[in-house]
Amino acid sequence: MPETRLLLKHSGDAAYRSIQGYMDKGGYAGLKKALSMDRQAVIDEIKASGLRGRGGAGFPTWIKWNGIEKEKTKPHYILCNADEGEPGTFKDKELMENTPHLMIEGMIIAGWATQGDVGYVYIRGEFVDCARAVKKAIDEAYEAGFLGKNIQGTGWNFDMYVHLGAGSYECGEESALMSSLMGERGMPRLKFPHAPLPTVAGLWDCPTVINNVETYACAPYILVNGGEWYATLGASTKNSRGTKIFSVSGHVNRPGNYEIEFGTTLAELLEMAGGMKGGTLKACVPGGSSVPILNAEQTMNAVIGYEEMVDAGSMVGSGGCMFLNEHTCIVTFIWRTALFYARESCGKCTPCREGTAWMEQILDRIRKGGGRMEDIELLKEICSQIDGRSFCGLGDAAAWPVAGALKVFPEEFEYFIRHGHSIVDGPEYRRMAPEPLTPAKV
Amino acid sequence: MDVIQISDLRGRPRAPRPEEVNLNFSEKAVRELEQLLNHYPDKKSAILPCLWIAQREYGGYLPSEAIAEVALRLDRSYAEIEGVATFYTMYHVGHPTGKHLIEVCTCLSCHLCGAYRLADHIKSKLGIDWGETTPDGMFTIEEVECLDACDRAPVLQISDQYYGPVDDKTVDAILEKLKSETSPSTVRLADEIVQAQLHKRDQEKVSGN
Ligand SMILES: Cc1cc2nc3c(=O)[nH]c(=O)nc-3n(C[C@H](O)[C@H](O)[C@H](O)COP(=O)(O)O)c2cc1C
Ligand code: SF4
Ligand code: FES
Repeated sequence: MPETRLLLKHSGDAAYRSIQGYMDKGGYAGLKKALSMDRQAVIDEIKASGLRGRGGAGFPTWIKWNGIEKEKTKPHYILCNADEGEPGTFKDKELMENTPHLMIEGMIIAGWATQGDVGYVYIRGEFVDCARAVKKAIDEAYEAGFLGKNIQGTGWNFDMYVHLGAGSYECGEESALMSSLMGERGMPRLKFPHAPLPTVAGLWDCPTVINNVETYACAPYILVNGGEWYATLGASTKNSRGTKIFSVSGHVNRPGNYEIEFGTTLAELLEMAGGMKGGTLKACVPGGSSVPILNAEQTMNAVIGYEEMVDAGSMVGSGGCMFLNEHTCIVTFIWRTALFYARESCGKCTPCREGTAWMEQILDRIRKGGGRMEDIELLKEICSQIDGRSFCGLGDAAAWPVAGALKVFPEEFEYFIRHGHSIVDGPEYRRMAPEPLTPAKV
Repeated sequence: MDVIQISDLRGRPRAPRPEEVNLNFSEKAVRELEQLLNHYPDKKSAILPCLWIAQREYGGYLPSEAIAEVALRLDRSYAEIEGVATFYTMYHVGHPTGKHLIEVCTCLSCHLCGAYRLADHIKSKLGIDWGETTPDGMFTIEEVECLDACDRAPVLQISDQYYGPVDDKTVDAILEKLKSETSPSTVRLADEIVQAQLHKRDQEKVSGN
């Protein structure tokens, strides 16, 4: 299948960033339609669309919206997770910079459907360009009467603010994001069933909807064209509907964001990105650093869909797709992945805080030529001790890539340990590792 | 005014009292904070934005005095504000950085595309290692995690600007240009982040129109 540009259709058009240009292309028609509909009918439309969260977990969006109390007793908050931090992912960034109104319109629709009072866009601190674009768009939406008091004569009031983070991957985790927005260290909060769901008690203990930027950006299209229409996209897959943006990077000729319909294959995605650069395909991390790595054969057979990718041995995740060529050292790559998690672990729970640091140390030892054969079993043991035993998803996300690589590329680890140097050498390898380098000796 | 002993404030669960803190926020900063406080139902939630204001007002980092001032203005204890500030990598607590902070992404896509070699080049050119500042106080180099611009790997961030893909030559040109840049990029970044959170109507009130 070729690219299906829905959200990114006008991404290259600078005029689309302003409210005038956006409305010229049909913008805010979805919101106007929603405002003329019953709140429950809006949620039903989202249900019919089959939309699932684009932030990583793929949770059905309508269930979150529907979970907000219908008899209002407290303020309701609409929160946008724009803390994109997953290595390999850069789709929310493009959406915010080039199509900010799409996300804002989606948030207002969510606000209407759930009787929201205030929306917050939590943007990662590094994304100053995004923050400027979103703020400008919010100002314009106020002036046009899509935000503020008595929106479009409905008597409904809804405000929206930009809030910037200050450098922490963990703040992308939804409960940590709420902690951070409430002025705390970005640590996760107790979860269901030990605490109420965020839809019951989220921000300031009030009902809260939290979705990813891309999830909200889908809502206007669903309202305009109907949920049934949206559900025709990706109908070839088990349970994934619509389009998904994949951020393609690594050893490809044309890195960038590609929007595809579910049911497209990873091989087609690779072709869109101009194919491999510098050598043939060795491996692919299809959904951001947190998902298990695939070898070339698995990659070429993988169909993109939430369930289909699990069958292929990985996950859709956030859509940060990295292709690695034949000269890549998997051991070094996985060490760098482990280093990321060790640095970003918030330190709240022991399995993750200690486990991520140990994994990094062991992989570093292997990468420098000092590994021991027992290290492989030790790594597997640590992974199984972290997975499912950590307080939030970061721990699991740290264990999966390591466990996955040990399963798919065991020979690379064994070779490195046995010989004290990598199975590969070449410009790619020499570029990717910090000193000391231990390339193949010939 | 008596010089405060920050160490006295540290262990106390209460917020500092006005007589214990030197206030250094400019009038503009005070008005900005007033507007930002309207965005949230409580004062505590303004801690992050207020720390950004403080980082700008105190010249690009957060000395103990800045932490104390934020604590006073938001009615929280010194320890709480320090605890929050130290969690986040973009607040520079206690130690100033060089005038220009060069953040090199060495995360997955960037390391595949040669970020460590690029870093070697910058380090040897400036004669400093990760986290160090050149003796003239001009540059600090830091290793950062994915900046989410992997399509442009390898990527650098300096102030609010991303640069990528960069090689040794483009980096040299960037460093050369920064030498003639007078305003510290860390202060500019903090200011941009504060401004991005102030709506048009907030900004009108800040400037008194
Ligand atoms: C460690 C960690 C980091 C995360 N980072 C992000 C992120 O940067 N952006 C995002 O949208 N979701 C992120 N998530 C997922 C969120 O917790 C949450 O599932 C998502 O915001 C829900 O929105 P959705 O239903 O629209 O996907 C992260 C999760 C974990 C465990
Ligand atoms: S798994 Fe535990 S230590 Fe790791 S980020 Fe989550 S809460 Fe923090
Ligand atoms: S890995 Fe460097 S920007 Fe993503």
